[in-house]
This record gives sequence, C-alpha cells and structure tokens, in this order.
Amino acid sequence: MAILTIIIGSVLGILLGFLIPTIPYSVSKYLAIAIVAALDSVFGGIASSIKKNFDLKVFISGFFVNAIIAMLLTYLGQRLNVDIYLAAIIVFVGRMFNNLGIIRRYYLDKISKNFGKGKHK
Amino acid sequence: MKDKKIGISLGIVCFILALALTLQIRTMTIENSIVSQTFANDELKDNLLQWKEKYEKAVEQLDSSNKELDVIRKSASTNASNAEQKTAKIKENNMLLGLTNVEGEGVVVELADGKSSSLVLDASNLLIHDGNLREIVNELSNAGAEAIEINGQRIVNSTYITCAGNVILVNGEKISSPCTIKAIGQQERIVRSSRKSRRNITST
Repeated sequence: MAILTIIIGSVLGILLGFLIPTIPYSVSKYLAIAIVAALDSVFGGIASSIKKNFDLKVFISGFFVNAIIAMLLTYLGQRLNVDIYLAAIIVFVGRMFNNLGIIRRYYLDKISKNFGKGKHK
Repeated sequence: MKDKKIGISLGIVCFILALALTLQIRTMTIENSIVSQTFANDELKDNLLQWKEKYEKAVEQLDSSNKELDVIRKSASTNASNAEQKTAKIKENNMLLGLTNVEGEGVVVELADGKSSSLVLDASNLLIHDGNLREIVNELSNAGAEAIEINGQRIVNSTYITCAGNVILVNGEKISSPCTIKAIGQQERIVRSSRKSRRNITST
C-alpha cells in the first residue's frame, strides 16, 4: 500500500513538474533548500517506520515546517549576507545519512536473516 | 486504517517532493548553471559593480558634454550677431570684387573712333587707345563711382586695360570701338567732377 502510493505520487509529481512552467532563478535556491529539507523528512519517516515509532503528525509537520523554516533561514541569510542555508544543508544532509544508515542496517539484517547466516551487528 | 492514512500521506509527500525536484532540475537545466549559487551571485555582483562604474562614467561624460554644449550655445548666440555684420561686410566686399550686380543711378560714357579726315596727320590720334580708357576709368573712380564696366567687362582690383596690336584688352577680353563705359555712383558728383577735371580726356 505504502509503496504503491509512493510510486503513484512520485510519477504524478514528475508529470506535473514537466507540465507547469519553470520558476524564476532567484526563487530556485529556496526550492532547492526545501527539497533537501523534504528529503530529510522522507528518509526520517522511513527510518522511524522501521524503528516502529512512526507518527503521522510528526512526519507531516516535519515535512512542511522543516521546508518552510529552511526557506526562511535562507531568506534571512540573504538579508544578513550570511550563508545560513549552508548550516541547514549540513544539518539536513547529516540527518539524512543517519537515517539512511538506519535503513541500510535494517535491510542488511533482514537479508542476512533471510539467508540464514546473518551476523548481527 | 492507520496504514491507509500513512500510505496516502506518504503518497502526497512524495508527490510534492517529486514535483519540486522536477521543477528545480528543469529550472537549473534552463538556467544552464553548473556553478554554485555563491559563485553565480559573486559573478552577478561583479557584473553589477562593473555596470555601475560604467554608468557613473557615463553620467560624468554627460555632465561634461552638457557643459560643452552650453559653452557652444553661448558662443553660437554671440556669433549670430557677429554673423549679420559679417554678411554685410561680405556683401560689400563682393560688390567691390565685382561678384554681385550693382544697381543704381550713374553715368554712361560712350566712346567711338573718330572719322578719318585728311586734316589729321596721325591716324593714331583718331583711335581709342587703352590709355584713354584707363584715364576715364580713373576719373570715374576718383569721382566716386562704385562700379564701372567697359562693354560688359567689370572693372575690379585685378582688372587690366592693355593694348594688343589693334585691339584693347580689358580683363583679357577684346574691346573695340564703340566703347560704352557705365559707372554707378552719384550722377551729379561724377558729372561735376569730370567737368572740373583739368585733364583733356579725349579729343575724339
């Protein structure tokens, strides 16, 4: 169910992305930060579902609020002439790697168990 | 039920994420930007500074050009009054040079060779000579004639009246009897002055 909706949503998003007009260059940097924040949220959601402590409210609010705050910080950085978005990117990407690590270990464990010769780490 | 909710929300989230990603990638492809945002910004700032500098220079140039224009305008307005005087002067000079037609009162002197007669010993005395013409022209101009012509030849500064064989040359043009000398000036004065003149102009 979850995988199906993910695929459908992604395909629809890509299709719509090709249909609607492109955004101005000055806005694209905010969108880029928002994308990184959203990616972080998605990986965080997957990791938490693996850890069985997935909370829909936390996930949805994290997805939107993180993206918006990242954009606001980028804007503030622009005003102050400080590259605050770098800090946001470092935090988000660092967390992304953490979550990816959790996901990787989970599937590694699963595969090793399936082959019946798994070694727990 | 909970799974369904999670699935739908994940689908929406993925939809938004995919949409944003596609848009961003398309935008970046169109902008053809491979440098980082900071670099792009720096480049733009450099460009901006260069343009500002150019703009300031252009403004300075405009100011100095305007000043020059003012100076030229001022001199042009003073020139305009000078120009009238100059035009009058040129007209006068043209008249003196014989470049313009002159109209007005004046006198006409007609000369012709004398008729041959057995009483005259020297036939040369009967003819008009270049010297005669010169004398008349001198008399007329002394009497205040402004413009003189002999048979259509205007007498100017460079005019020469000379004799070549049996013809007279005025300005290089052949003149022969009868000669008509026209002089423009104060009629009365010219007539009186030529009468007063002691010189015996001609005896034809």
